[in-house]
Amino acid sequence: MPILKNQQREECVGKYKRMKKIPTEFWMVLPALIVLVVITVFPFIYTVQLSFKHYPYIQVQSHIRRVEWVGLDNWIRMLTDPKVGRYWIVTLKYVLGALSCEIALGIAAALLLNRIRIFQDLLTTLSLSPMFFAPVLVGLLGRYMLHDSYGVYSYFAHQLGLFENISIFGDGRTALLALIALDIWEWTPLVTIIVLAGLKSLPREPFEAVSIDGANAWQRLWYLTLPMLKPVLLVALIIRTMDILRYFVKFLITTRGGPADATKIVAIAVYDQAFQAWRMGYAATLTLSMLIVTIVLGIVFVRFFAGMGQE
Amino acid sequence: MKISRLQRKEQKAFHGYSLTDFLAKVGLTIILGVFLFWWLFPVYWMISSAFKVDVSMFTLPPTWIFKPDLSNFRNLFATKGFSSYVVNSVIVALSSTTIAVILGSLAGYGLARGKIRGKNHIAFWMISTRMAPIVGMMLPLYILFGRFRLVGTLRALILAYTTFNLPFAVWLMRGFFLEIPRDVEEAALVDGCTKLQTFFHIALPLAKPGLVAMAALCFMFAWNDYAFAVIFTSGKTQTLPVACQRLMTEYGIVWGQVMTTGIILVAPVLFLGIVIRKYLVRGLTMGAIR
Repeated sequence: MPILKNQQREECVGKYKRMKKIPTEFWMVLPALIVLVVITVFPFIYTVQLSFKHYPYIQVQSHIRRVEWVGLDNWIRMLTDPKVGRYWIVTLKYVLGALSCEIALGIAAALLLNRIRIFQDLLTTLSLSPMFFAPVLVGLLGRYMLHDSYGVYSYFAHQLGLFENISIFGDGRTALLALIALDIWEWTPLVTIIVLAGLKSLPREPFEAVSIDGANAWQRLWYLTLPMLKPVLLVALIIRTMDILRYFVKFLITTRGGPADATKIVAIAVYDQAFQAWRMGYAATLTLSMLIVTIVLGIVFVRFFAGMGQE
Repeated sequence: MKISRLQRKEQKAFHGYSLTDFLAKVGLTIILGVFLFWWLFPVYWMISSAFKVDVSMFTLPPTWIFKPDLSNFRNLFATKGFSSYVVNSVIVALSSTTIAVILGSLAGYGLARGKIRGKNHIAFWMISTRMAPIVGMMLPLYILFGRFRLVGTLRALILAYTTFNLPFAVWLMRGFFLEIPRDVEEAALVDGCTKLQTFFHIALPLAKPGLVAMAALCFMFAWNDYAFAVIFTSGKTQTLPVACQRLMTEYGIVWGQVMTTGIILVAPVLFLGIVIRKYLVRGLTMGAIR
């Protein structure tokens, strides 16, 4: 008996020693890890299995009828529905339109701000203000200022003879443009400060060298500044792409995808399927297709980071 | 006949500015002015509309000079429940920020300093969870929270905000801790501090500016959110962005009050943003640019 006891004790001591071997840092990471697994991994797995189900959800909670496994039905429906293709085209138009303008205007504004000597800090800070507007507010402000009868921007446009007989958010031709414009207004400042930070970190010597060689301002910009800014621009591009795909509140506030699906991006389609039609299964399928796109972008982002040199 | 910059500088020293230089400067200043007008006019318009009486808000051409009027603010706070929406917003944003700060700085430190196998993979996985589309999170969380009878409570919202604030906090803090020189911490360890003591007394104070910036951004993300708030709250648990939007549908559109709510929404975040503006680029690019 005593031998066995000893053995047991040794086992206990061994366990304790192994416990001690686990570094304190591990215990520091653990809580966050557990929380994240519970609130993100678990829901993700749930979404995947939801995409193989027919899951009509009635607004009154926990009153669910006829949940059934339907195999690949949702996926087939998504891949064969021509509407889904159109949602993606609208999304693509929106992303490309907003991104290209934000990058171009952001670079321009950053170059200008970088040139001025006085009040640079003040003006930069002022120019950041749109970024702090809640998306809901950007949407509401857009509706207010572009309203066809009392909107101040519409008034300016009418004076110039533009958009005279149309309601900007009510017309399929202008609604998406208006939404792109809202996003450009809100997020160009972010690109601007990213580029500005990049400009400030550029080395001076190459510029001095080429100006001795007689390069003019345009040549310097095109052959020197922009190529050297490439990594910074890439970061701005990736961050903006991911955020544009993530957020959809401006659409929800202004057009809700209308008129006639002209502004229906994929995120809005998911929202409609989930919280208007309450078809959770199909919505989950659409969500996963969005997630695939984001994962690809995420991999690009992580690659970029890994390339920057791991500490 | 190209003139180098140096030569031109010499010329300037002799002749003062040339006409083309002057014109270029004027042109660039004008363009910058246009940029600033474009960015700031809506801000001005929001603020001025909040201080206008309803009639003068809708007159076109716009009235530029008007007597500031506080009736919008008075009416808004007289509306039943409005102050409780403000309180809700503050509670939710502060709680999710607190969770992110505590768990995030612990985990960030662990991932920066610990000898954990695959710690970089864990870090990358964490930040990638933040990139998921918001609708993608709304859908499963709505059903799962419904099962636990959490929909309609502020707790649901706090948890939902943690899904994007916690990965952000971990990732950013990891970056800040990696920048602190190891020597100080090692000296403390040699002197007999435990790892936790080193963390609290040495590393955390050194990373404090980063911590403040991270907390401010977490607060901002939670404070500004509408998407989660609109499906997870109802009635009394509404937050400010939802209340702001509801002003539109319930009584027609009370634009004056919408704009006033707008001021209340923007003011605290703008203030925080200006306070941490040095860290803004770094935070919003998730540490890619410092």
